[in-house]
Amino acid sequence: MTALLRCAGLHKSFGGVRAVQDISLEVAAGAVQAVIGPNGAGKSTLLNLLSGVYPPSAGRIEFEGRDLAGLPAHRRARLGIARTFQKIRLFKQLTLLENVLAGFHIHHRIPWWQYPFPAGSARADRARCHDEAHRLLAFVGLADRTDTRAGSLAYGQQRMLEIARALATAPKLFMLDEPAAGLNSAEVEFLLGRLNELRGRGLTLVVVEHNMDLVMSVADRVFVMDHGEFLFEGPPAEVQRHPGVIAAYLGAEALA
Amino acid sequence: MPDLLSVLVQQSLNGIVLGCLYVLVALGLTLIYGVMNQINFAHADFVTLGAFAAYFFTQWLGGGYVLSIGVAFMAGAVLGVLVNAAIFAPLRERGDELRPLVATIGVSVLLENGALAAFGPIPYEFHTPYANETIRFGKIYFTEQHLLIVVVAAAAIGALYAFMRFTFVGKALRAVAQDRETAGLMGINQNQLIMLTIVIASAFAGMAGAMLGPVLVLTPFAGATVIVKSFAIVIIGGFGNMEGTILAGLLVGLIEAYTTQFLGPGVIDLVVFALLLVMLAFRPTGLIAEKREENV
Amino acid sequence: MSERGRRWLGIAAAVAVIALLPVIAQGSAYWHGIMIICALNVLLAISLNLVIGYTGQLNLGQSAFYGIGAYVTTVLVQTLKWNFWLAMAAGALAAGLVGIVLAVFAFRLRGHYLAIASLAFAVITYQILINWVSVTKGPLGIYGIAPPPPIALGPVTIAFTSPANLFYLVAGIGLVVYVALGNLISSPIGETLRAIREDEVSAAALGVNGKLWKVFAFALGSAISGLAGAFYPGFVGTLVPDAFFIIESFTLLAMVIVGGMGTMIGPVIGAVLLTVLPELLRGIGDLRLLVYGLALTLVVLFMPGGIVQAARAIWARVRPARAAPGTAS
Repeated sequence: MTALLRCAGLHKSFGGVRAVQDISLEVAAGAVQAVIGPNGAGKSTLLNLLSGVYPPSAGRIEFEGRDLAGLPAHRRARLGIARTFQKIRLFKQLTLLENVLAGFHIHHRIPWWQYPFPAGSARADRARCHDEAHRLLAFVGLADRTDTRAGSLAYGQQRMLEIARALATAPKLFMLDEPAAGLNSAEVEFLLGRLNELRGRGLTLVVVEHNMDLVMSVADRVFVMDHGEFLFEGPPAEVQRHPGVIAAYLGAEALA
Repeated sequence: MPDLLSVLVQQSLNGIVLGCLYVLVALGLTLIYGVMNQINFAHADFVTLGAFAAYFFTQWLGGGYVLSIGVAFMAGAVLGVLVNAAIFAPLRERGDELRPLVATIGVSVLLENGALAAFGPIPYEFHTPYANETIRFGKIYFTEQHLLIVVVAAAAIGALYAFMRFTFVGKALRAVAQDRETAGLMGINQNQLIMLTIVIASAFAGMAGAMLGPVLVLTPFAGATVIVKSFAIVIIGGFGNMEGTILAGLLVGLIEAYTTQFLGPGVIDLVVFALLLVMLAFRPTGLIAEKREENV
Repeated sequence: MSERGRRWLGIAAAVAVIALLPVIAQGSAYWHGIMIICALNVLLAISLNLVIGYTGQLNLGQSAFYGIGAYVTTVLVQTLKWNFWLAMAAGALAAGLVGIVLAVFAFRLRGHYLAIASLAFAVITYQILINWVSVTKGPLGIYGIAPPPPIALGPVTIAFTSPANLFYLVAGIGLVVYVALGNLISSPIGETLRAIREDEVSAAALGVNGKLWKVFAFALGSAISGLAGAFYPGFVGTLVPDAFFIIESFTLLAMVIVGGMGTMIGPVIGAVLLTVLPELLRGIGDLRLLVYGLALTLVVLFMPGGIVQAARAIWARVRPARAAPGTAS
């Protein structure tokens, strides 16, 4: 089983605060890797380091065997790494369709002079992207409202739109930062179904989550962090029983 | 005293006088940014209107000059209340941080050209009794007006500083500047504080106008000459940083004085704004402030 | 009617209007002049809107690029005896290059800071124009500037000494730029720019190189303003730095916002309205700037989407069955 994504000895400090300390992780191709941990464990920071939002203080990240050092976020997207954000970052003034269309940025094939004066291939490209965008919106259950402003969607729908938009980049690795946050149980069910569908298509997933039901249902392996450090890694069933993990989550309550 | 030395001392004095006035104007800008995260583009026009208020008080009502400074102070305060009520308060809910800036650009253009329509383009000669009395030390001289400016400005800045450090309201202002959410949770009434901030800032601007009036050319566009320089000072000193702004204001005043002496007055703006661009390129948060990485 | 059909109809209508305007104002050199200024302002406004409205970068220094275009073109023609059209291209290019420098500032600076940096740009450019007397003749300015040289098209020679012909030239260029820019905005490039405007971080996660496209937007926006600048001195006959003081930037800002920021037609409406209206209302010609300031403030406070937003709202009232809820711009 080849590792699609590998990181070793990752460190990140902000000023004096050590957000991530000596984290090493391997994600196999086609696997679903969950990353859990109490609040402040450094999970989002880890995703930010992997996707290139900011550089690590130390450590190495490899994707498909290639060292990502110095590669900015947009270049990593071109390599096939997509992600969603913990705080929803949609293009609020644009429509649902326009949001997803923005995801095709990497894949357009149009001769430069057709941008100001469009002709055949520009129109074909546009039609192609529109069709694919509609398919993606249907995949996340938003097929009927494609011309509404993204900002007017309900919270759960906004999360799904973010997923559709990220999928438009046709990624090999898809990292989701707390996709179930703020979703009701029906929406979580739906999300679970979509994630399983994606896994069935061979997409590699990294999911940072607090929702344990979701994690247990979909993950192949679980990586546990606490206070920026590695705590435990293993299959879901083992994680649930691990005393260190339980202590990290219950923390002060268990000791009190 | 050798010539070069006396020239340097003279320009240093000029620079400090000018710097004091710039600090008065810039402090208001930095205060507003620190507490409200906004820029009032019409701020320098408050300086102009303060100058005109002082002018008419002395020329038409025959009031004393020192008292006219107080009148300008009041005029500035009133303008601050109006701009806050009309623009900053209504737009605060929306969260769009640039709309108020653009709105105040409109207000600035409106005020300048309204003043032009009301007062005409010909410069007004603002005479004060203090401008005539000079004090000399050898080749170095300054007028009582200069002395007055430094004294009043130093007193005002000192009072503001003490207010911010030692009074409850002052500390509340600093709390809001540091962390708006938490300050709100602690029961501090933000709207009143914001109103107070703008009033203080605008009053200082008006007061600066009354003292600038006799020194600069008094036209409706007097403010326009000061506004971008004030931005330069605030950026160099660090937006929201009081001590930095004071230092930067004096620094710019000195730079202006030396540039006038050694390079000619035409290049002052060029030098100051080139410095501003250099600062923005390498240290946009100011000489003293620290960097913060964006939270994603 | 299909989307493409509507667009061709729009272009045809614009051509008709442009062709007829000088005829309507026949004999009035004054109104011909107003129309030329109007066409120039339209060019400036749509170029500013590209940077502010579509890419979301608050640029308060557009007057600098206008001035660079004007001075580079004029000095090349007058002093170095260049061909006008080559000088015009050089003017646009020079403005575009300086625009790239401003774009570099936009890499790290956001919001207020960028606004101030752009303002500093405008002031520094103005100061250079005033102080570099050997080249620009300083505040006294350059005199006796000729309009563009005549063009021979087969048997016909078009001379631009007549204001009507100059208007056709500038308006024609304006129309071509408008159509090309409009297509650009509708294309994936426009989507990219809007993504940067909305949220640069997630745009990067989609593969958008924010720095590259900011450079693109600033370069193109500045170059178009520089292009407009090439025609301004030939029309007025003289060239002084005061024409490019920062108040010009605010005037353009007012046109873009009053018309409708972030739309293609908005800046056109704003430019036409704010150029022509003060002339129509005789007596307030001198208070033109006062009106601009008031209009800008009121629009930002009460109708931030400008006239386009107001028109859409009225349209939605009048034909409620047709309007979709929450339609984006």
